[in-house]
Amino acid sequence: MATAAAAKITPRIHEVPDDLLAAIDYCYDQGWTDGLPVVPPVVDRVKAMLAADDRPPETVIALHPATGLDLSLHAAAVNAVMAGCLPDYFPVLVAGFEAMEKAEFNFHGSTASTGGSAPLLVVSGPYADAIGMNSDVNLFGPGNRPNATIGRATRLILRNVFQMIPGISDKSTQGNPGKYSFCIAERMRGNPWPALVETQGYAKGASSVTAYAGGGFCNVENHGGNTPEHILSSVADAMANYGCITLGQSVVILAPEHMGIIAAAGWSREKAQDYLFSQAKRSVDGMKSVGKFRDREYDAQHGEGASPLAEQGFIHRGMRPDDILITMGGGDAGGHSCFIPSWSRGRGSIMQHAEIRKRS
Amino acid sequence: MQLYSPMSTAPKRKAVRAPALATIDGMRIGVLENGKLNAEEMLNEVAQLFVQRNGCTIRTLASKSNASAPAPGNTLVKVAQEVDFLLTGLGD
Repeated sequence: MATAAAAKITPRIHEVPDDLLAAIDYCYDQGWTDGLPVVPPVVDRVKAMLAADDRPPETVIALHPATGLDLSLHAAAVNAVMAGCLPDYFPVLVAGFEAMEKAEFNFHGSTASTGGSAPLLVVSGPYADAIGMNSDVNLFGPGNRPNATIGRATRLILRNVFQMIPGISDKSTQGNPGKYSFCIAERMRGNPWPALVETQGYAKGASSVTAYAGGGFCNVENHGGNTPEHILSSVADAMANYGCITLGQSVVILAPEHMGIIAAAGWSREKAQDYLFSQAKRSVDGMKSVGKFRDREYDAQHGEGASPLAEQGFIHRGMRPDDILITMGGGDAGGHSCFIPSWSRGRGSIMQHAEIRKRS
Repeated sequence: MQLYSPMSTAPKRKAVRAPALATIDGMRIGVLENGKLNAEEMLNEVAQLFVQRNGCTIRTLASKSNASAPAPGNTLVKVAQEVDFLLTGLGD
């Protein structure tokens, strides 16, 4: 884990004319942007960002094994300023990289791959409200500053610090709109299930970030269903479509309308996970019909230690029910949930989480 | 106006290539497949070309469980003792 302080190396300073628009253009010229204008990382703003974390600025919070490049708090703060973050958002960004830095997340692979995933950050706990994050209408945006800028800072760090440059080291075939920004808060208002942060074993009152290599976004519309089976079967069908089905993990964000139907029937998160895992499947013959069947994947899913819900003769999405993160988000109106497939055809990236720690 | 660079301050890692083999004739080949669809088939086809053209022998087939992560260190150490060169690559 990367928490040590690196040798002190003075960050480079660029002298530019006192002209804000010219400074924005300068950032473009340096190749520092995601294609949109950035806030020029002036010294005072970076120092204000760093004041949100009382550790030395050279503290390393993530390492990139493929290149040996590291992410210091200072570099994180520079990119956070450029993305438009306020200092109160900084602990979320730091926790996001502390989660992504865990080897199982494999942020190099998930960023470099043709698969084109984007790190989805799901913020759970009271800190989301404390900084004004959106968990409600237009959950995935646009319109909310912390959601938009924390997600954007994540991308800028991947680009500027770890040099995951589109077309060079980021070989994504088609990209992904989430690669501009992909950050949400878990909605707790009206949510009948425990917050994700509680299920992750953190202390009461804590907040966390869950990082997930999201391979896209699939809207799941169902305005006619009125039982948990109706709703979740629609979700399971999206999870098991031939384009998406793999042994990878899943994120499902249930709309409040859908959650209301599921909760009214008394279903727990675990029951919903079991149902989705059981239903999100394709027959072996079906997988063969599209050229996607592999013996080793079938054996991995049905061999020793397999989930008892893994049905013979079928490939399920994921390895077991708890591979499916389910929570609630979005506005009160509308039967629109979503399924976000994972990057990788296998287990190339496993979602990770870290506690948000306010250190100032 | 002073702007901080958003880049990493870590020094660039120096990468060193292994010395080239003087010849590949008669050498021992290892195959490191990455688990992707067709990877093993494609790499074995390539290995067979070395067998036919250069009199190489295929000594070992190693697998990675994660295509995008480096091969485990113990896999590379083991393979290095058994072969003169290693074939690897994507199978898509």
